[in-house]
Amino acid sequence: MKVVNSRFWSSTIIILILGMLAAEGIYAAPDGEQLYSEHCIACHGTHGAGGIGLPLIAQTLGSVTDDYLYKTVRYGRPGRIMPAYPTLSDAQVAALIAYLRSWAPQQEIITKAATGEAGSGETLYAKHCIACHGKDGSGGDGTGVTFSRPRSFGIMPPALNNPGFLKAASDSVIRHTITRGRLDTEMPAFSDLLSAQEIDDIILYIRAFEEQQKPTASVKGPASLIFASPYDFETTVQRVREALKGNNFRVFGDRYLEQGLSDFEDQHNRNTRIRFCNFENLYGMLGIDPRLGILLPCGLTVVENDDKSVDLIAMNVNAIASVFNNEQLTVLSEAMLEAILLVVEEATF
Amino acid sequence: MARTTMEFETALEVLQRSIEEHGYTVAHVQRCDGGMRGMGYETDNYKTVFFGKHDEITRLSKKYPELIPYLPLKIVIYAEGEESILAILNPIALGEFIPDAELQIQLQRWHSDIKSVLADMR
Repeated sequence: MKVVNSRFWSSTIIILILGMLAAEGIYAAPDGEQLYSEHCIACHGTHGAGGIGLPLIAQTLGSVTDDYLYKTVRYGRPGRIMPAYPTLSDAQVAALIAYLRSWAPQQEIITKAATGEAGSGETLYAKHCIACHGKDGSGGDGTGVTFSRPRSFGIMPPALNNPGFLKAASDSVIRHTITRGRLDTEMPAFSDLLSAQEIDDIILYIRAFEEQQKPTASVKGPASLIFASPYDFETTVQRVREALKGNNFRVFGDRYLEQGLSDFEDQHNRNTRIRFCNFENLYGMLGIDPRLGILLPCGLTVVENDDKSVDLIAMNVNAIASVFNNEQLTVLSEAMLEAILLVVEEATF
Repeated sequence: MARTTMEFETALEVLQRSIEEHGYTVAHVQRCDGGMRGMGYETDNYKTVFFGKHDEITRLSKKYPELIPYLPLKIVIYAEGEESILAILNPIALGEFIPDAELQIQLQRWHSDIKSVLADMR
């Protein structure tokens, strides 16, 4: 009898705990709308109006499969603004897709692998696709974030050579898009211009981009570069300013690290951030991705240590830019780093 | 990155308030748009908000000098039409470069606070 009672109470307690957890939302099913608001709305807009990201209107959503949506969320678009979400659970991704599907069901998409000639596809691609998607399928410049990007396109032409796209888009999805086009974008319907075979040939040519994949950029080096200065604090600051001007950087007013963070201004602070800019490089970087404002303007911080030695600290722009995994950005950040290193060399010589 | 339906000036004001409500001090707000317009670029409103906690910045900059170029923390805000976009450098991304266990806790705390600020803005 005692055993029965014990089991009864154990079961009751477990049920009560589970009930409480559910009430707290711990065991509640993922909320697709909330996930959309947290992860997608910044680019795809309220109710999928688009802007930075593709408009998720009924015609667009209808033209892709759930598998395409799942893989797009999972793998993102490396080098572009669409991130991968490897940490979302399958249930969360499913909830997100279900939320999108509440806006638009999938249209009927005929599942069929493309067959034909990639060689013929190359000629057709050059005639019909190259103007927007580029010779190598790299699409528009930059990461896809708007801002200073020319807005002649409602959205950036997608990169067809993007590994995320190639993983997500089946032949059937690509065929459907080429045939019917995409409303609210510059992508026209080609059903009247191209035969079914010609469309398949183009698909095979696009698929061949998979073989031309470049290795993914990896994190390069430390977050910052620290150089010992042979000079005292004041002399180092002066030499850095002179070197910057000598290398055609515009130099702004100095700030010390804690400036503005306290009511009491520390007059004896022994660190100074010398802020500077090369506008051509700055606009180049912002044109690729305006989020880079978080790294700008450039700065070199001169720090006097407790033992009176002086260090010069620079952000390793090349390493941080690699987080964005964008080839154009890598080129610009390498040039920027090279220029900064030249300044450091002159200042500490 | 986060989008808010608030127009730029309101969003900037609410952002600063939220940062302070999370226990941080706004060190300064830097205009980026003025200089860009002056150079002939047609850009929208664009500002960077620098913020942090005085003692935290002092302590961490001594212990992790490689963190200095990333301090104080920053949120950029720019107008997109009648709405505003906010972007940050996720502090957790810095953890990949500075693999120190104690620092990871700090970066996680910043990440959590910034996420909460961005949630206030939505």
